Amino acid sequence: MTRPARTGTVPGILLAAGVLAVCLALGLALGPVSLSLSQLWHLVTAGPVQGDLQSAIFWEIRMPRVLVSALVGAALAVAGVILQDLFLNPLTDPYVTGVSSGAALGATIGIVLHFANLSVTTVLAIAGGLGTLVIVWMAARRRGRIDVFVLLLAGVTISYLASALVTVLMIKANEDMTAIIYWLMGSFSGRGWPDVRVALVTIPFMIAPLFFTREMDILLQGEKRALELGVEVERTKRLLLVTAGVLTALAVSVSGIIAFVGLVVPHVVRLLMGPGHRGMLPVSLLAGASLMVLADLLSRTVIAPNEIPVGVVTTFIGAPLFVYLLRRGRRA
Amino acid sequence: MAGPLVTLEDVDFAYDERPVLRRITFALRAGEFVGIVGPNGSGKSTLVDLIDGIHQPVAGEVLVKGVPTRRYRRKDMAREVALVPQHFDLDFDLDVREVVEMGAYCRGKDPSAHGDPEGTLARLGVADLASRRFSELSGGEKQLVVLAQALMQRAPLLLLDEPASALDVSHQLRLFDLLKELNADGLTVLCILHDLNLALHYFDKLLVLSDGEVAAFGPPDEVLRPEILDAVYGVRAYLHRHAGRTYLTFSPRLRGERRGRVHLVCGGGTGAGMMRELADAGYEVTAGVLNALDTDEETGRELGLSMAVEAPFSPVGDEAHAENLELMRAADLVVVSAVPIGHGNARNVEAARQALKAGTPVWVDEGLRANDFAGVVDGLADDGARFFAGEEALLAGVLARSPSGDTT
Repeated sequence: MTRPARTGTVPGILLAAGVLAVCLALGLALGPVSLSLSQLWHLVTAGPVQGDLQSAIFWEIRMPRVLVSALVGAALAVAGVILQDLFLNPLTDPYVTGVSSGAALGATIGIVLHFANLSVTTVLAIAGGLGTLVIVWMAARRRGRIDVFVLLLAGVTISYLASALVTVLMIKANEDMTAIIYWLMGSFSGRGWPDVRVALVTIPFMIAPLFFTREMDILLQGEKRALELGVEVERTKRLLLVTAGVLTALAVSVSGIIAFVGLVVPHVVRLLMGPGHRGMLPVSLLAGASLMVLADLLSRTVIAPNEIPVGVVTTFIGAPLFVYLLRRGRRA
Repeated sequence: MAGPLVTLEDVDFAYDERPVLRRITFALRAGEFVGIVGPNGSGKSTLVDLIDGIHQPVAGEVLVKGVPTRRYRRKDMAREVALVPQHFDLDFDLDVREVVEMGAYCRGKDPSAHGDPEGTLARLGVADLASRRFSELSGGEKQLVVLAQALMQRAPLLLLDEPASALDVSHQLRLFDLLKELNADGLTVLCILHDLNLALHYFDKLLVLSDGEVAAFGPPDEVLRPEILDAVYGVRAYLHRHAGRTYLTFSPRLRGERRGRVHLVCGGGTGAGMMRELADAGYEVTAGVLNALDTDEETGRELGLSMAVEAPFSPVGDEAHAENLELMRAADLVVVSAVPIGHGNARNVEAARQALKAGTPVWVDEGLRANDFAGVVDGLADDGARFFAGEEALLAGVLARSPSGDTT
């Protein structure tokens, strides 16, 4: 019997946490101005120092950027796990619910209307994402139940609609086209502490599903079997769907649409840890953060001083990996 | 416990506008071992789902331990009722142990409140599966794992939806023996199944569902009567006793009119196959003269044929002979099987010759020549009897003779 050995829950979480620590250190240390480990340690322990340029670069530019990318990566990975396992569909990612396209529409409106204050664009993106979640939700509701397949179809449909509207806005406002395209491709360029504050809101929504890992395991057997085994299916589904929707909306609002993290991370982790959520969900969270910090590091260093949009980097990493996984067989 | 475990009172259920169950009333007592049978689409699975509170009735009440199912939270329901579903698969590669352990979800996190997965698998005789991956198991093993998952709920009532449909005969028997054992330990079992012979042998009581209504409810031998099976399934059922047990066999219900009437001269088992084939093909079959307790006589009795019967091991007497002639006169065709002809039954051949003379065609199995110990076959041939080679040739010939049931 040849099958890959699985990592236990606790060793897996510890290992993933270690990897994330390394990725965070690398993300904070490397860049146009690279820092040694001791410099890094000194900067972190000293805190922001007024008038010190190195400290200013570290605390005002690099630290918020790394934190945002870690939080966005974690949020997308958690949303990916939830949606893949709720839809029982391995090809699902956080963007199929239409939430990301709705957020993109909101952000595009913000860019086109030239709000001087960037956070208005963020708020519009969150509003667009959550608004889409509500529409898709209502479409999928029948007699107090949420039909996840209708939800999936409605999400895909709304995605197309929102994308079409974004295209119309791009044509109408061609001087903003570059800004919109860059936003759509996803980037952490220039993200500061206000973005960190938005991204921090994801934390409770990432923690909540950790209390529902048993229910998520049982739901792998389908909704009916979960009912039979005593799970309050509708309540659990509602909680998880809202959680995934909010995570996606928040992530997209601060970073744009970054592909493949929410799709590939759950697959890779499932392969290593097995599909049980007690280990797979926290490890996905940590791995999503690691991958995003690493991808952002590559995006700003490979062709420095220019940047490759981080969505391009994750796609370059994710696409071959995903094809490899698909070739290994559907069952991850 | 005083009241029944499950009570259905005048329950109606419909999916959207399509009625599925109508006026269902029955009660299940603790410790009972009850099977549910009925044609596809008769509402069996829906009934089981109603008892588990998955669906709520449109009218009437479904009570578990006296409390309407809609009042239960899912976790509480799972502690009272466990269900083994008909279809179960898992695309995700969980270990068997993890799958079984999920059954204890309703028991909360307290490990002392539920049995361990290994112990439950051992109870089913498959302790070695615990560390395997669920997706690597055979259909029969998966079925046992799902049963183990349901047993982890430690509910007093176990519902099973066609648990045997994916199993080979050995696994089927093992499963039902196991259910019997669990029942003996106090578990109440309500099990949907399709195999009526298994239902007949294993269950204390059967509930027959037909088109969403209870057609019968009671001990198997009272419930699986041919007339009920004909009404419910639209098949002709025959009860056979063999080796101390009762078995059911089935023939499709006849379409349209009977094709005609065939009289068989047979005995010693040479005619049993023909009787069944001709009856299934839509002919009214008579036979004689047969000795009581002869294999052909028993088969004819089980099939409900009109027969001229003589006492066991006795030569054909006048009374039976006259009766036989009567039956032959009413027949459109007389068939003589390869039955050994001796002095005791030579009168049957004599009767066939009379029928020939009266204008009724007589067909004779070629094999009769070898078994003719009374020297009567030649006479049949002289009188114009037609010979055929074996059962298949007979059936083909008979069907060709009256393709559309035209008996003239």
